[in-house]
Amino acid sequence: MAARLPLSDVKVLDFMWVLAGPGITRSMADYGATVIRIESTNRVDPTRTVGPFKDNNTGAEYSALYGNNNAGKLGLSLDLTKPEARAVVLDLVRWADVVTESFSPKAMRAWGFDYESLRAVRPDIIMLSSCLMGQTGPLARFAGFGNLAAALCGFYNLVGWPDRSPSGPYSAYTDYIAPRFGLAAMMAALIHRKRTGQGQYIDQAQAESALQFLALPILDTVASGRKYSPIANDDLEHAPHGIYPAGGEDRWVAIACRTDGHWNALCTTIGQPQLADDPRFGTFAARREHQAELDRVIGEWTRLRTPLETEQMLQASGVPAHTVQDSHDANHDPQLRHRDHFVRVNHAVAGETFVENSRFKLSRTPADVSRASPAIGQHSQHIFEKILGYSDDRISELVAGGVLG
Amino acid sequence: MLNGCRVLDLTTERGLLCGQMLGDLGADVIKVEPPGGSAVRALKPFFADETGPERSVYWWAYNRNKRGITLNLETSEGRDLLRKLAAKADLLIESDNPGHLSTYGLGYSDLSAINPALVYVSITPFGQDGPKATYADSDLIVMAASGVLILYGDEDRAPIRMSVPQAYLHAGADAAGAALIAYYDRLNTGLGQQVDVAAQESLGLAQQSTLLSATIGGDETRRMAGGVKMGPIRVPLVWEAKDGLVTCVFLFGSALGVFTRKLMNYICEQGFCDQATRDKDWLAYGDLLLTGREPIEEYDRAKGVVAAFLRSMTKAESFDLARQHGFLIAPLATIDDVLSNPQFIAREYWQTIEDRDLGLKLTYPGPFARFSATPISYRRRPPRVGEHNREIYLDELGLSDRELGDLVRQGVI
Repeated sequence: MAARLPLSDVKVLDFMWVLAGPGITRSMADYGATVIRIESTNRVDPTRTVGPFKDNNTGAEYSALYGNNNAGKLGLSLDLTKPEARAVVLDLVRWADVVTESFSPKAMRAWGFDYESLRAVRPDIIMLSSCLMGQTGPLARFAGFGNLAAALCGFYNLVGWPDRSPSGPYSAYTDYIAPRFGLAAMMAALIHRKRTGQGQYIDQAQAESALQFLALPILDTVASGRKYSPIANDDLEHAPHGIYPAGGEDRWVAIACRTDGHWNALCTTIGQPQLADDPRFGTFAARREHQAELDRVIGEWTRLRTPLETEQMLQASGVPAHTVQDSHDANHDPQLRHRDHFVRVNHAVAGETFVENSRFKLSRTPADVSRASPAIGQHSQHIFEKILGYSDDRISELVAGGVLG
Repeated sequence: MLNGCRVLDLTTERGLLCGQMLGDLGADVIKVEPPGGSAVRALKPFFADETGPERSVYWWAYNRNKRGITLNLETSEGRDLLRKLAAKADLLIESDNPGHLSTYGLGYSDLSAINPALVYVSITPFGQDGPKATYADSDLIVMAASGVLILYGDEDRAPIRMSVPQAYLHAGADAAGAALIAYYDRLNTGLGQQVDVAAQESLGLAQQSTLLSATIGGDETRRMAGGVKMGPIRVPLVWEAKDGLVTCVFLFGSALGVFTRKLMNYICEQGFCDQATRDKDWLAYGDLLLTGREPIEEYDRAKGVVAAFLRSMTKAESFDLARQHGFLIAPLATIDDVLSNPQFIAREYWQTIEDRDLGLKLTYPGPFARFSATPISYRRRPPRVGEHNREIYLDELGLSDRELGDLVRQGVI
C-alpha cells in the first residue's frame, strides 16, 4: 500500500491563474494536498486559450497547458462580484491552511480578500501572493506575462547570436522559474507553521525569484564591470561545444567536450584520430580559439547521421552528446518513458489526455498524478456538499443567485 | 524558518542553488568540499580575471548562507566522518553520478541505516536509474535532451542556449522544494527518504507544456528569431524600438485578445492603421488564421502596423505607455538596466555581503520571496576553503585538537 502522501493534511484555497502561480499548487496536489481552484466566471484563465491543444481543438477544456498546470485540483467557479460569493470564499478560508493568488496587486484587496481580512477569519492562515514585480514599488501594478518580466530581468538580452539581435528565451521565461521558488517558500512557511502555529504572508515577485538565475552575471558586472551579451553556444569551460546539423529537416545534435579525454574520444569516434595530435587543437584554449574550424569538421560528420546515431556513438565513448529533442522525440525517449514522464489522465470533457509527471521523485511517498485538471466548475457541487457541508437549500439558492456564473 | 535544520551540501555545480535556498530559509547548511576546495572554485569567470579558489564568481553566486568544511571522501577516515555528520543531519544534498556515493558506502541505503530520518536529495542530469542514467552531460546536453533547446534561437540557424548556464539552476531550485516536501513529511512521520531530481525532467516546466504536443496530437512548437512558431502562426516577441528592442505580446483568444484589442484601439487613434484593421476580431483571430478564413498575409500586415508603431517610440516611451494603458510591452534590459531599475531599488532588493579579504562588497539578487513573519536574511558570504573546519569538527562533532591535527596531516581534512 502506498504511504500516506506528505501534504495530505494541507488544504489549499487556490486563486492562482495563468502560468507562474498554478504550477506551485499543482506540485502540492501531486503530493497529497487538497487544492480547490477558484475560477472567476468573469475572466477565463488565459492558459485555457493557449496551446498545445488536444487534437488542435481550441476549446477551453482542451488546453494541455491549463491541464498540465492544474492536474489534481478541484474546480469551483464563482462570480466573485456577487456578495453571496464572498460568503462562500470566507467559508473556504476557514477551511483552508493556505490561500494562494496571482492576480495583480489590487484585485484581492478590491474583493476584500487581502491578508489582513483573511487573517481576521483564520488567524494562522498562510497567504502567498505571486505577481510579476511584487506587491509594492513603482512597478507593482505593471501586470502582464512572464515574457515582460523576462525582458525586464535581462534574460532576453542573453540569448542570441553575436552578429544579430538577441532572440530571447522561449516565451514567458520567468514563469518557468518562479513556481520552483514559490513551492520552496510555501513549504518553508508550512514547516514554520507546523512548528510554531504561526501563519504569515508571502509576497513573491516573479522577477525577484527569477533573478536568482542571473546571480552570476549580476555579481560579475558589479564586481568586475564585465559586460554580458549573447554568445550563442560558446562556453567558458567547453570546446568544442555546440549544436551540430544532423540528417533530416531541422534535426540537430548537441556535443560538449570539457576534458582532453572527451576531445580525444570524439576524434577517434568521428574517424579523425590525427586531430587529437593537431597542435591547433592540443589544448582547451587552442580548441576554443579554433572552434569555427572544429565545428566545420564535426558538422561534416554529424550531418551524415541521425542525431540519435551520433548521440549513441559518442555517449558510448563517454563524450557528452544528445539529440536536440522535440516533443515527438521526447515522447519516445526511453529515459522519459522509464521515469513515466508522460502520464495518461482522463479529463471530464476532453477525455483521455496527458500531463507531465511530478518534476521530482520521492522514494517513500511517490507523487500521485492520476487526476486531470478540473473542467470549469466541475467540483462545485462536491465542494458545497462535502467540504462546506451546505444544505440543499443553500446550494440551490447559490445556483439560483447566479453565484456559480 | 528552517532554523535547527542541518543540511550537508555535497553538491558540485549541478546542485549548488538547492543548498543556498535552504540556507536563505534559515537552515544551517554545511558545504562539504574535498581538501583544496570544490572543483567549482576553478570555474570561470574570476573576479578581475585573476584565478584563485576564493575568486570564482561561479562559486560566489550560489554559496552564500553556507558554512564550509573540507573532507576527503577518498579515505575511509573521511567517509567515517561523513557518516558521523550524516547521523546528526536532517538533509543531505548531493549531485554525483548515480551510484557514485554508494561505492563509498555513502549512498541513501547506507546513510538511512544510520539515520532513518535523513532526507537524502540527489540531483543528476537524467535521474538515479534508467537507460540514460549514466550519460555524460553538461548544461547544453541537458537543455537539448529536455526539449528546451529546439525552442531557442533563429530558425535559419542551429538552436542556441542561454549564454549563462541555466539547466542545473532549474533542477537545484526544484530540489529545494522537493526536499522541503520530504522534510515536512518527516515532521509528521519521523521518516526520511530519497529525493531524486533529474534536470531533464525539471526542464519540462521551462517550455510551457509544449513537450506534451506529440502525446495529445497537437502542433509542434518551433523557434523563430525573437519569437515562436505555432503551426502556421509566427508570433514575434522581440520588436524594434527607436533606440533598441522591446518585447510586446500581440496575441489572440478570449483572454489575450483583449490586450490586443486595447493596443489596436490606441494604435489606430495614433493614426498607424485604419478602422478596419483596428476592428478585426482579435479574440477569435487565432481560429480565423488556423481555419484560413483570414489569410496569413493579412496577419503579417497587421504585425507590420504594430512594428511601425513600436519603432516610432523609444523603449522608455513605449514602456511608459504600457504602464499607463496596461499594454503588454517592456524593454529588453541589459544587466546594467536591471541593476538601476527603480522597482528593485524601491523594494531594496539588492543585497550586499562584505568580503573584507577581497576588499569588496558582493552584490546579490535579494530574497526570492518576502516573508512577513520570518524574512530571509543574507547572513554569510560564501565560505573559504575549510573556513569552518574547527568550529564544526571540534565544537560540534567533538573531535580533539590532536585528532583534527592528525586528520589534517593524513589529508583527510
